[in-house]
Amino acid sequence: MAINRRQFLIGAGGLAAAATTVGLAGCAPGSGGGTGSEGGGGGEGGTANLALAWWGNPTRNKNTQAMIDAYMKANSNVKITGQPGEFSSYWDKLATQTAGGTAPDIIQMDMAYIAEYGNRGALMDLKDVDVSKFVEGTVDSGKINDTLVGVNAGINTPLIFGNPKVFEKAKVDLPDDTTWTWDQMSEVAAEVASKSGVPFGLAAFFTSDQMFSAFLRQNGKELFNPDGLAFEPADAQAWFDLMVKFQKAKAIGTPQQISEEFNKPLDQGALVVGKAAMQHYHSNQLEAVNAASGEEMRLLRTPSLTGKATERKAWYKASMLWSVSAKTKSPEAAVAWINWFANDPAAADIEKAERGIPPNSELQEHVRPKLSPAQQTVAKHIADIKPELAPTPIAPPPGGGTLGQVMGRYQTDVLFGRASTADAAKKFVDEVKSNLQV
Amino acid sequence: MSAISELSTVHRVKAKTPEEKRLAAKEAGRDNKAGYLFLLPWLIGLIVITIGPMLASLYLSFTNYSLIQAPRWIGLENYGRMLTDERLHNSLKVTFIYVFVSTPLQLAVALAIALLLNEGMRGLAFYRSVFYLPSMLGASVAIAVLWRQMFEVDGLVNQVLRLLGFEATISWIGDPQWALWTIILLHVWTFGSPMVIFLAGLRQIPGMYYEAAAVDGAGWWVRFTNITLPLLSPIIFFNLVLQIINAFQAFTQAYVVSNGSGGPSDSTMFYTLYLYQKGFVQFQMGYASAMAWLLVVIIAAFTAINFWASKHWVFYGD
Amino acid sequence: MTDLDTRDATGARPITGPAPQEAIHHGPTWKDHARSAIKHVLLIAASLVMIYPLLWLIASSFRPNDVIFRSPGLWVSDLYTENYSQGWYALSNPFGQYIINSAIVVVGAIAGNLFACTLAAYAFARLQFRLRSLWFAIMLLTIMLPFHVVVVPQYIVFNQLGWVNTFVPLILPKFLATDAFFVFLMVQFIRGIPKELDEAARIDGCGHWKIFSRVMLPLMGPAIATTAIFTFIWTWSDFFTPLIYLTDPIAYTVPVALRSFLDATAGSNWGAMFAMSVVTLIPLFLVFLFGQRFLVKGIATTGGK
Repeated sequence: MAINRRQFLIGAGGLAAAATTVGLAGCAPGSGGGTGSEGGGGGEGGTANLALAWWGNPTRNKNTQAMIDAYMKANSNVKITGQPGEFSSYWDKLATQTAGGTAPDIIQMDMAYIAEYGNRGALMDLKDVDVSKFVEGTVDSGKINDTLVGVNAGINTPLIFGNPKVFEKAKVDLPDDTTWTWDQMSEVAAEVASKSGVPFGLAAFFTSDQMFSAFLRQNGKELFNPDGLAFEPADAQAWFDLMVKFQKAKAIGTPQQISEEFNKPLDQGALVVGKAAMQHYHSNQLEAVNAASGEEMRLLRTPSLTGKATERKAWYKASMLWSVSAKTKSPEAAVAWINWFANDPAAADIEKAERGIPPNSELQEHVRPKLSPAQQTVAKHIADIKPELAPTPIAPPPGGGTLGQVMGRYQTDVLFGRASTADAAKKFVDEVKSNLQV
Repeated sequence: MSAISELSTVHRVKAKTPEEKRLAAKEAGRDNKAGYLFLLPWLIGLIVITIGPMLASLYLSFTNYSLIQAPRWIGLENYGRMLTDERLHNSLKVTFIYVFVSTPLQLAVALAIALLLNEGMRGLAFYRSVFYLPSMLGASVAIAVLWRQMFEVDGLVNQVLRLLGFEATISWIGDPQWALWTIILLHVWTFGSPMVIFLAGLRQIPGMYYEAAAVDGAGWWVRFTNITLPLLSPIIFFNLVLQIINAFQAFTQAYVVSNGSGGPSDSTMFYTLYLYQKGFVQFQMGYASAMAWLLVVIIAAFTAINFWASKHWVFYGD
Repeated sequence: MTDLDTRDATGARPITGPAPQEAIHHGPTWKDHARSAIKHVLLIAASLVMIYPLLWLIASSFRPNDVIFRSPGLWVSDLYTENYSQGWYALSNPFGQYIINSAIVVVGAIAGNLFACTLAAYAFARLQFRLRSLWFAIMLLTIMLPFHVVVVPQYIVFNQLGWVNTFVPLILPKFLATDAFFVFLMVQFIRGIPKELDEAARIDGCGHWKIFSRVMLPLMGPAIATTAIFTFIWTWSDFFTPLIYLTDPIAYTVPVALRSFLDATAGSNWGAMFAMSVVTLIPLFLVFLFGQRFLVKGIATTGGK
């Protein structure tokens, strides 16, 4: 009796395991298994059901829900269910949903993740989206292997924010950001820090992969190219050495302070709480930083090697993108919504510049008078830096999205004296390379 | 003394002669029907919800699985990689330090406070709730934020230390040498759960033993070691086994305090945090599954040791 | 013996009053007073250290966002109550909706755990059946596998069953005793109950079910209370499972809803998040305050009925 029961139970367990793994195998894109996207079907000539996922905050949630409502009002044959989320847990959920075959139809995407999903066939080709009016350089960031899998939802650019009040207190002029060099940036930062008493002349700078990218580009390299890593250990070492130089000049705080700043959310950052004169941010964060700090920050360009801003090889980044799941049951409806978001003035009226400056140049003009003062400053800056642009860097290939985190770890070792810059640079490059291979 | 000496010699080890063994085997199937009936909900849950996914994860450990594409068989490659993965070895080291420092510490504090609160006293309910509060909050993002702030170089802890005359220039949370200790401290701070279990166990000790001991004139220490400890031993054992199992799998506190990074410089990269990163952030779920099964082996080994050792110090009424 | 017998009719010792260990003293001496005073001072000091973070949380919930992280102190000069009034309505549903959702999940989870874990624990602790040790070992094994690697296969199973975006994956497993922690806890408690009571009931002609329901369950008060309280608190604070199974915001439970206030890339609404955290702590605290009474009933051990 007992043996039969045991056999039965083992058999049942095996069946259950087999069913699960068949489920896993069935989740390969295009295999048609699983229950499909959360929104369900809808091709019988009736309503299309779309699930739309994004990360954000209560403000963005309200805006996006308003857009969904407006769209549904104008298009009665489409029903959209919103799936708002929070940034860090958003990716866990999306990965689980994708593995289970229930990925949402329309997915808000980030540059660090778009290759992970795009390269593995999880995202639909968006060739039917009208990007003809997009500003030059803003479309390519969404292309993986020459296929457009993400439509730019808002332009931003990495740069530096400066706090005029801190400069005032130090009785130092704000630098002329069109002519300053890296060395001058160090001098200014050190001077302001010592004269005003704030710990950071320049915060959260060297640990940023975007600033590293800016540095590399000015030295003729890039972070990534289609074959993988596009820089050498010597370049990384130069970056780490520069960081040590800045630190010794007392421009960027003590090792403890730098380590504490790493990974801090925006509203606890040094600049926001009044502990920094300058900090690296992305342009679309100006409004949030102003609100959180109660100050009006100044936008500062990254420095150049030669002192000429036009040679600093800046670029337009996509703050986030819209993608469509490859397994969506309503591809036309999904594409139609993205078209509406990207090109319809009605959408821009609600969204304004919350996700970044609209890449559609007509919508930019349409929306400009309605923007808040901070957003108008940003819009002007984005337009102003056009002559300073160089080709947009490609999206990090699969495994490359974590480069910033890896770099930060080795930089911590260098700062605390646990590794030399040469060793750290070599190990850093090795680790990123092995991440790219798996 | 008579009552106490009686207790300490009773039912420690069961003798096993061949005759008794035969009888025992027959006895083993005595309640088959009832046993499996009572066990039925658990068995159903095991088959449907637990075993399938567990076996699936075992299978996945032999594959390259990105979550986005179907798994691809690669045999023992994941396990081979684990041998040379320095970050994995570091995470094991971090986890072992955490388990073997924070568990005894937390349990000792929990037991001490439970003993203190067990003696009837005024305000007992209040103190018990207050000491349990941290456990209710411990894993929350709000507390993690505060914890980070408190241990910064100019945070509350250093400010207090400076008031007491120390130099206090270390960033407890930013220095790779010290960050792990802030998490150990956080774990000890949340001693409420084992404390509550100890309290429940203490209350279950029949008062008559203490009365008999009082009559015999036994002092506090004698009562503690001869009555409290033996009769509480099943609960101490339970707390020990489960806190160790939990400590090996500690995730949430490291995740929220380090903002998911395991930093600074991997000093708080717990094993399950590294596993989560490999699985969900780096899309290497196959490797993460292999890591998970290695952890099962480690935990099972230590649990087995615990069970084997329990024969020598745990006293059951049956 | 009678004046030392401080137990009430059910055999339980009252919460307050001196424990039997102290009953041999003849009235409190000044030494007792001093000892008691020192104990209270130490306990109060320890309590303050324990709850400082909670006090900071409460204080911060009354501060506007841009002030919160600049003040580690506990003193709030201007009470800013908007975090509560606005925070309640800040998300897509009034926060009460999320509290109700959590309540539903938690009640279901407690019912499930109490039902299934007591049954399984009785089997493991008192019944002799083939392969008992094997199943016990497997049960412990299920706690040893980190949940992150089981989450995706489980999600697939629940998806095939069509239960994604429902509360079922959050509640049903409890009815199937998947919380092995509580099974093990109850096993240890049951093993501490003398077998003579079982035997007495058996002599009276009781079958296993009667022994279980009439003898065991009443004596397992502390274990049942502990299970209920812990299930409540852990289920209430569970984040990851509701995150992946609930897609419609109206179904979110409290931890997921609290996360919605955060945005690391723009500004988070910390004030509202702290305020709502405080609001949701109140049920937890009340449950514990109320439930701990049941933790203290001891068992009758006068060797009979």
